[in-house]
Formats: sequence, structure tokens, C-alpha cells
Amino acid sequence: MPLDVAPISRSYETQRTLNPPGIPAAAPLPTGETDDTRRIRERFGDDIGAAGLHNGNQVVYVKPAQLKALAAFLRADPQLQYETLIDVTSVDRSHLPLNGDDARFQAIYQFRSYTRNQHLTLVTNCEAAASPAPSADHNETLLPHIDSLTGVFRGADWPEREVYDLMGIQFDGHPDLRRILMPKNWPYHPLQKQTPLGGEEVPFTLTWDDPEFETLGAQILPAESAAPDLPPGMSRENMIINMGPHHPSTHGVLRLVVELDGERVVSIDPDLGFLHSGFEKTAEHKRYKDFVYYTDRMDYLSAMANNLGYCLTVEHMLGLEIPERAQVIRVIMVEMQRIASHLFWLATHVLDVSGTGMSLLMYATRERERILDLFEMVCGARLTVSYIRIGGVWQDLPKAFITELKDFIRVMPQKIREYEAMLTDAPLWQERLAGVGYISREDGLAMGLTGPMLRGSGVDWDLRRDRPYSGYEGYEFEVPTSDRGDCYGRYRVRMEEMRQSIRILQQAVDTLPSGLYKSNNRKVSAPPRAELDVSMEALIHHFKLMTEGFHVSPGFFYHGIEGSKGELGFFVYSDGSAKPYRLHVHGPSFNNLYAIDHISRGEMLSDVVTNIGSIDIVLGEVDR
Amino acid sequence: MDWLQVLVFPTIRALILIFVLLTGFAYLTWYERKLLARFQIRYGPNRAGKYGLLQPAADAVKAFFKEEIIPNHVDKPVYLLAPALALAPALIIWAVIPIAKGIPAIADVNIGFLWILAVAGIESYGVILAGWSSNNNYSLLGALRSAAQMVSYELPLGLFLVSILILAGSFSLVELVESTRLWWEWIWLWLAFPFFFICILAETNRSPFDLPETENELVAGFQTEYGGMKFALFFMAEYINMITTSAIMATLFFGGWKGPFAEEIIWLGPIYLVIKVVLLLFLFIWVRASIGRPRYDQLMKFCWQFMLPLGLVYMSISAVLAVFLK
Repeated sequence: MPLDVAPISRSYETQRTLNPPGIPAAAPLPTGETDDTRRIRERFGDDIGAAGLHNGNQVVYVKPAQLKALAAFLRADPQLQYETLIDVTSVDRSHLPLNGDDARFQAIYQFRSYTRNQHLTLVTNCEAAASPAPSADHNETLLPHIDSLTGVFRGADWPEREVYDLMGIQFDGHPDLRRILMPKNWPYHPLQKQTPLGGEEVPFTLTWDDPEFETLGAQILPAESAAPDLPPGMSRENMIINMGPHHPSTHGVLRLVVELDGERVVSIDPDLGFLHSGFEKTAEHKRYKDFVYYTDRMDYLSAMANNLGYCLTVEHMLGLEIPERAQVIRVIMVEMQRIASHLFWLATHVLDVSGTGMSLLMYATRERERILDLFEMVCGARLTVSYIRIGGVWQDLPKAFITELKDFIRVMPQKIREYEAMLTDAPLWQERLAGVGYISREDGLAMGLTGPMLRGSGVDWDLRRDRPYSGYEGYEFEVPTSDRGDCYGRYRVRMEEMRQSIRILQQAVDTLPSGLYKSNNRKVSAPPRAELDVSMEALIHHFKLMTEGFHVSPGFFYHGIEGSKGELGFFVYSDGSAKPYRLHVHGPSFNNLYAIDHISRGEMLSDVVTNIGSIDIVLGEVDR
Repeated sequence: MDWLQVLVFPTIRALILIFVLLTGFAYLTWYERKLLARFQIRYGPNRAGKYGLLQPAADAVKAFFKEEIIPNHVDKPVYLLAPALALAPALIIWAVIPIAKGIPAIADVNIGFLWILAVAGIESYGVILAGWSSNNNYSLLGALRSAAQMVSYELPLGLFLVSILILAGSFSLVELVESTRLWWEWIWLWLAFPFFFICILAETNRSPFDLPETENELVAGFQTEYGGMKFALFFMAEYINMITTSAIMATLFFGGWKGPFAEEIIWLGPIYLVIKVVLLLFLFIWVRASIGRPRYDQLMKFCWQFMLPLGLVYMSISAVLAVFLK
């Protein structure tokens, strides 16, 4: 299939050749050592490349042959206890200056120990393919390859499929290595650097006879209608039901192929990617400050949290200090967003479980509406807010905001009691949720679930409390957990989380300091308009920021925040220029959705719907 | 002039009845939408006419002028027959319901009770055939659920009907309403009303027992492949069923057309009946706005493990009461 369209070079964008000398540069190796890296080095000796701290994270470089053994060791060793694999991602380093023997592809794993509160990043070079650069007539056997970790961590399944799909790294020993986000007949692996970004310039002309129209739409793939094939492991003996992508309760364009025996679910194969927007590829072509607006569109129900997650990652790489007031404003926004997201979860969950007539949908959206009104007050937008920016927030809070917020905080606990009165003890609600979608603590950890999904299975972990950011260490709140592991447990956890968020909001409002609402580091955040009239310096800074953006020193960093649906992580690999060399988003919905097959097996078709609601997915984030 | 009595008058009465019921259906949709909206802090229809009163007319026009789409993969004759088959029983049950002193809607058959049971039995065919002929997995599952649910709930429903029959001592609904009941009879009857109402909800596929068309898992259940007027027929069947069953409940439990002065002034009878039906319809909508839906297996379990034994016990006690106290 021809895709012979050269990537467009836009003259107004930063050209690589204009970068200062020394850019691009590969990430520097980690330095120093920690207890964990010492322990790993003791055990694996020379198979460990470099190990130590990089950007504050523990990083270990391991030889590909020992990857699987090291992962198993990390999990099993009583001194390490890395119980869960949070994320798998990869970097195509072909645009970086490398030594001759450096591998082009690197796979990067994020491990987490909940018991010891430790985070560890594992970097592995992928073994080179037979031919160094995959040619246009793409051949699967030429892909770089590496051992799959699915045997050690079950949750590696989908992230590895994603890496295979987008980056073209073959995982040896993966049970089901299919494309996951892109269409199955897509010829390339989009995150490889030689794949063009796509997007063609629309001819601006006044006549239809213009020859420019002849090539318009050349990048659009021919829509070949392919017969749907049965996902592996399913049998035509059973009834195969296709739920979605247009289905009332798959929360967007999720497609589930459900194998049914009567009304009992035998297995489920989720088909993702209908909303794949290529954010990660786009990010490589946007300046750091310009990507904030894209994060809104991922988890569109908690845009503030996405903004914050991205900004914190970049700010950490810049070593930027955020003013106290901005921190508190951010906490207020993110906690409001958490309540809004949970309210919407509650509304749709009730709708899914109980039918359209059930009035709670409207009650919960009524309160969410108030939060959106408050968002509108601070930034003019309700859904895609882009309010939190690198360096602080966009603008200071308007005068009426605090009064309105206080009123909301006063009213909200009563409303939550109202919802609980309708649901918590209602026998029908209990019967629909209790025992449905059970996931044990061990399975939850092995699958890399995060957020309420994990807390509902009894893991006492909250990034706000355990790895605090944005000044969360200064707030008093509890982390609700439930040992039930079923939909009802998760329901209780989320309801309690809303209460705790109100507690945090109350404290934040009480302690809101005065001061700057964004950093006054002029290299990163633009000077106020008034300053431009009087200061030459300010004008230059403004010009540099608006045209080129700011540079981030070479390196990589993974940072996770507690989003409303789980751990929302951003991984940024910088080559020193003003644009991310590689940006990866760890969306909690993506990993949590992986559990749908496990928790639905043997249950009724109605329970599948309950489970989807209970996992709380947003397809914008799953597909990215 | 015998044929006049046998054929023409009943036909005219039937036509009037159908007209009244269809209008009733139209305004029931308005009533439900308005009420649900109030339960859900919304306004409901308020654009077409004052208080949205012309909304049903607008909906009817829309349904009429929609393109008729018949998918290629359906079993065409059955597919077309199913909506009619769903609607007809809802209408013909009305034949035996008394609307005023000594006046049934169409005919005072002396087996009124059996008529209700028999026609209610046919009702599920429309749904089952629609699901079967649609050739669609969702429709099929909806139809199967419907078949199981309606057949199961007909048992307790029948048992309650039989209990009432035992106490009344006559198969005719007209006589049932006119005969005087003792005070303990009323109390005993009203004890059964909530359970009877549950059976009726299941029988009419109304929320929370609308499992055959659970929109959140089965898309639209048995009516997934239907659109336009054919869908409207199913819609009509459901709502007319609500009216019909409300009338039955009013007749069995609340004295039907009876009310102050209804014996003397004949035309008050239908008015009282309508008031009672509207109040019972409110109950349907209230339940829909506040109670969530059970799962299919829970619904069946509830029927077989609770409603059926309860019905049997109720019937036995009714029999004992009838023997010793009447």
C-alpha cells in the first residue's frame, strides 16, 4: 500500500539544524547508586550496564538477555518486592547521535513496589533486527526483538502489544502479539522516526482547477473492508456478540467481542483504537508548552489532572520551582476535577446498571455542572480547560471564585449523602454489584491496575499520600480502601474518595496563600503583557518563548500522579531541544481495561456492562 | 335486526375503544415524559404546544413519515407480523373490562378471568417472534429473556388471579365489580396488590423488569432491528399494555368504575375508571424513576423462589377464607 508522502516541513517550526551545537543528545547515563541498584548489581554483575539515579528516579540499564530474569528477580526478591509493572514504553533513537554499537530501539519499563514505596525504571536495548532500518516494503521478521515480560507480570500484555503496534518491537514469547491501537492492515509502526507525521497542507486556492487538488487526500488509506476474524481462543460453537463500537454502554467507541455460552461470558476480546489520535506522535512535533492543550483531549473527563500530570513531568525535568499559590490552586482544580469525574462515573454507572429511568444520572450531573461552572469561571472552558500550564496556572483565580467554591464545599457532602441514601443500602443495587467483577489483590497487582481498581482490592496506595507532589503532603486526608475486590467495593471506595476530596478542598481554600500564580522564571513562563511595554528583556523573553519555546536538558523522566481513574503517568524523553523527543502517556484506563476479560469470565452479559462501568474508562485515554 | 346487535354495535364500540386507547397511549407518553422529567429535575417536552401537549402529535407525524427500513437478513413475513401481534392482545383484553354499571367495554363474557389469562399468554409471542425473525444476536437474547420472563411471571400472576376468583366466586369481571365485598376481603386483596403489581411490571416488560430491551447491554433487545412505524407499534403495545393492566388492576383491586354516585349517574363510571387508571400509571412511572433494574437471573430467581411460593400460599389461604367466612 503506497504511503509515499514526504513529511511536511513547516518553515515556522524549529528546525533541527537551528539548534545549538550539542543538540540533539541522547539521555545521559544514571549516576550514583541506591540500595536497590546495589542489590541488583550484586546479583547480576556485568549484565547490568549503568545503574543509579537519573532525574531523581532509580534507573537500571540491563542487557536484553537478562531482562526477564531481572524482572522476575525484582518481583520475587524479598529485599526488592517490585510487585507491579506500571508501564512499558520504548524509544526510537535513530535521530540521536549514537555510538556505533548502540541499539536503535530501547524498551523502558517502570516498576513499582507498593510495600516499600519505591519506583524503578528499567532500560533495555532491543536486539537489532536483521536489517537495520525497516524498509518501505515492511516485513515482520525484520523487527527488533526482546523478551516478553508477560510470563512474569500478566499486565505486560497490553502495554507490550501497544509498543509492538506503535514502535514495531517484537516481544518474544508474548502469547498474543497483535496490533492493538492501529488498524490491523496498517503498514507501518507510527512511532518509528521515519514514519511521517502525516497531515497534508490543504491547498488554498479559489478555483477547483488548481492542480494542487490532484494530490489532496493522498495520505488517506484505502478503506479496505476486511472480514472480521475471530479473536484467538474463541470458538464459533458459542454465540459471538459484537458489543460496540456503537453501543449504548461501552462508554465511547470501545468494541468488545464477547463469547457467550447462553448468557454466561466465556471470554472477551476488547478491540481498541477507534479513538486513536496519535497524541504521542503529535507530541514529538510540538513544543513543550504547546502540548498542554493536547492533554485535555485524552481523559476529557479529568482534563485538569492531565494538565497537571504533564506539567509536573516537564517542570521536574526543568527543575522549576512552582510558587506556593499556584500549587494550592492546582490542588483545588485537580480535586474538583476528581469529584467531577467521579460524579460522572457514578451517573453513568447507575445508568448502565439500572436503566435510563433511574434519576440519579441527572442528580449527579447537576452537581458536576456546578464544578464545570467553576472551571468556566477560572478559564472560560468547561471540559477542555488547559488551565494548568508549565510554570503555574494560566491566570489568577477570579474574585468570586472562592465564595462560589465555599458554597459548593458546603453543599456537596449533603448531596453525596443523598446519592448514598439511594444506592448504598438499596438491595437491588447491592445485588447487582456485590460479588460481580471480583479481582483479587494478587491479580490486581500482577495486571498493573491502579487507582480505585487497586484500592478496591485492598491495596492501600495513593500517590498523593505516598509519593506526594504539588504539596499534597501538607493536606490531611484518608485513603479509602476496600477488601471486597468487587464492583461494590470499588463503588464504596469512589464514594469515599469524593468525601476526602472535599476535605482537601476545604483545607486548600482555608490555606490559599497570596502570591504568584505562575513562576516568574522568564525562561519558561511568559512575562505579563504590561511588562512588554517597559522592558526590552521581557520582550525578548516573550519572543523567544512564543517562537522557539524553552529547551529541556537531555534525559528522560517518568512521573505519575493520582488521577481520578488511577495512576496517570507521563514519560518524557528529551534530546535537549524545545520539543519532546518522545512522549508517552500511561493512561490508567488502558491498563485497568485489561482486567475486563479476567473479571467478566463466567458472569452474565449484564455484568459485563457493570464491569465496564466499574472500571471507569474514558476511551480518549485508552486509545490516546 | 339481529346482525345490528351482533356485528355493527360491537364494531362501533370497538372502534371508539381503539380510538380512546390510541389517544390514551399518545398522552401516556407525554404523561410519562413529563413525570420522568420532573423526577429528574428536567422540564420534559415543552416546545410543541402549551406544556408540550402537542408533542404526541408531532411524534406520530414523525413515526409515520420515517423511511421504512427492512434489513436484508430478516425473516420478512414474521418480521412484519410481529409488531401487529404485539399490539393486538393489548387491545383485545379491554373487551371484558367493565367501564360503567353493567356495561363492559365490548362484551360481558362469563369467562372474563380466563380471557385475561389467555390473551396475556399471547402477548409474549409478538416479542419472541420479533426477536427471532430479526436474525440478530441482541434481538434473540432479548426475545429469549422475554419468553422466559413472561412465562415465569404468568404463574404467580395466574395464582393471584385465581385467588381473587375464589373470593369473588364468578368468572365475570362485570359481576366482580358489582358484587359487594366484605371489609376483610378488601384488606386481604390489598395485601396482595404490591405483589400483583410486581407481576404486572414483569408481564408488561416495564422498568425495572424491562430486561427484554435493556438498552445498556442488548442495545434495544428484541426491537433492535425495528424502526419507524414498526417500532412505534411496539411502543404502542407497551404503553397500551400499561393502560390495560392498570385498568385490570383498578377493576380487580379498587372497584373499577365504582365511586360516589357512579351507580346512579352512569357516565361517572368511566370517569372514575380513568382517574384510577391514571393514578396507577403514575405508580408505573414512579417505579421507573426510582428503582434500578435487577439482573436477568436475579429476576427469575425472585419469581421462582419468592413470588411463586407466595402466590401458592396466598391462594390456599384465600380458599380457606372463602370456605369459612363467606
